[in-house]
Amino acid sequence: MAASRVVLAAGLILAVAYPLLLQWGGLPFYQTIGFLVLLNAMLGIGWNVIGGWAGQFDFGPQVFFAVGAYTAALLFVHLGLSPWPGMAAGVLVAMVLCAILTYPLTRLRGHYFAISTVAIWMIAQPIGATWEYINGSRGLFIPVETGQGPLRGVESLQFAGRTKALGYYYVALALFLLTLALARLVERSKLGFYFRAIRDDQEGAEGIGIDSRLYKVLARCITAGVFAAGGVLYGFWALAVFPEQVLELNWSTLPIMATVVGGIGRLWGPVLGAVILIPISQIMSTTLGTGPLAGRGIDLIVYGVIIILIAAFRPTGLLSLPWARWFRRSA
Amino acid sequence: MPLLVQAIVNGLQMGFLYALVAVGLTIIWGLMEMINFAHGEFLMLGMFGAWWLSVTFGLDPLLSILPIGLLMYGLGVLIYRLLMRRVQRGDPFTQIFATVGLLFLLQNSAVAVFTSDYQYLSNTLLTRLSGSNLRILGINLGVPLLIGALLALVLFLALYLLIDRTEFGLALQATAEDREAAMLVGIRPQRMFAVAWGLGAALVAVAGCILANFFAVYPQVGFPFTVLAYAIVALGGFGSILGTLLAALVVGVVQSVTSVYLPPAFKDAFVFGSYILIGLLRPQGLFGRF
Repeated sequence: MAASRVVLAAGLILAVAYPLLLQWGGLPFYQTIGFLVLLNAMLGIGWNVIGGWAGQFDFGPQVFFAVGAYTAALLFVHLGLSPWPGMAAGVLVAMVLCAILTYPLTRLRGHYFAISTVAIWMIAQPIGATWEYINGSRGLFIPVETGQGPLRGVESLQFAGRTKALGYYYVALALFLLTLALARLVERSKLGFYFRAIRDDQEGAEGIGIDSRLYKVLARCITAGVFAAGGVLYGFWALAVFPEQVLELNWSTLPIMATVVGGIGRLWGPVLGAVILIPISQIMSTTLGTGPLAGRGIDLIVYGVIIILIAAFRPTGLLSLPWARWFRRSA
Repeated sequence: MPLLVQAIVNGLQMGFLYALVAVGLTIIWGLMEMINFAHGEFLMLGMFGAWWLSVTFGLDPLLSILPIGLLMYGLGVLIYRLLMRRVQRGDPFTQIFATVGLLFLLQNSAVAVFTSDYQYLSNTLLTRLSGSNLRILGINLGVPLLIGALLALVLFLALYLLIDRTEFGLALQATAEDREAAMLVGIRPQRMFAVAWGLGAALVAVAGCILANFFAVYPQVGFPFTVLAYAIVALGGFGSILGTLLAALVVGVVQSVTSVYLPPAFKDAFVFGSYILIGLLRPQGLFGRF
């Protein structure tokens, strides 16, 4: 127990201090990697609720990522509403929409549920590309507010100049910690036990009076809420919301892969997975530079191999390896 | 009205091609109950194979069906033996992960080798015939698509006879029905699963050879076909080979008719919408037996 506390404290100190050192070194690119790691870790924690605990393979949470991004961007562009209430609205809209869409789907189980979530995503894509109210495929641009201090930056979710990467890093860190704390709360509450009961034995869970459809919907709504919040953060970071961008498949596959690599159904699984996977892609794209192998999907080949190896040899993920025993033996 | 009839006829022709795309998944998913999210990547490999053979050796895609089919059969067997056998008995999730990993690996290997550029076939038998039409009862039938559709239909029927009328096909169905009982009568399930993966990969790659005449060839071409194939197999009733054919025709017609009246972006939305509706209202599929 003590050892894990030490690891936790060291991780927290590193997470807080990491971008500051880079700020002095003038390396904001590595701060952006940190931002993406935290964003994907946060989404992975969200996906873990439906996928890891409730045991329903959801391939379409990027729909709610897009719903969050669009809701906050529309409120900002049309009503001038600041992004934090916009985020609250985005999360709410995504959760309500998720409940309406998911309740009928919970009649399907296993692979059939998984494919129906893909189907919803496939239907969302042409809607996003053609709906005139949200500007179709032309997308929404978020007007830049210039000349503001860091405090105003936190308020408006817009950071400019030298502190841009730093500001977004800390906002992402805060949202990530909030998500982690909420997930920990859910994991240890009655809700979390119901989710895992449905995953392990749906008939048994129903036998003791758990409404499996209701709790599957609740689990996916939590996932949808986390994805919506992530979508708002991403939209303001990118200063634009495009259908192809926020509905991209990577917004589900990367968090899912992070979760699986780290350890599905474990609170820290997605965090470990994101810390391992996301930098691979980012660092590769810089080291390959403009060489002959640049932009040739080498990072995604590596992802594919990693996920195949995990599925074949350790489907319960890296955290499930007997670390404690190994450390005790070497100590 | 003639517009509608024309759309239906076009949709039926595409439907025959879709049937060949989906039937490999009918065997792997519907019959053998294994999931494969890399199904469309086999199609993509078939398309690239046909394109590459055509560009380098001038081999017509319709002739490259044979070498590509054999090669992809080998790849399918290899994937089963090296990877899928390992994850087959585990949690169904591990099959999803394994094949999603395969999807990433195959798709991006194609990016690494061929880049993400769109490639088009030209100067093949079917592309040279483009523009020539048969006119029957006031309906235009494009000759290339018609030939492609008929070829797909012939291959499809050959497969149907193989699965439904031969001893080998019965052994495959017996393995799907009850693995232990099949072993008792001397069928080796591992071999049957390997053959199923080989057939699945070969059939969809052959479909890719034909489709390469009509569609752009690029590494990301596969995934939409994967989802389409899942919708078709589910609509047709899992494991029903003829159901797959009928469902593929329905999907082809739905796509073609909706794109007459709605923006073309929506042609797939209706297919996936009907997948969800059928799953909820008639889980055994449109033509399922159970």
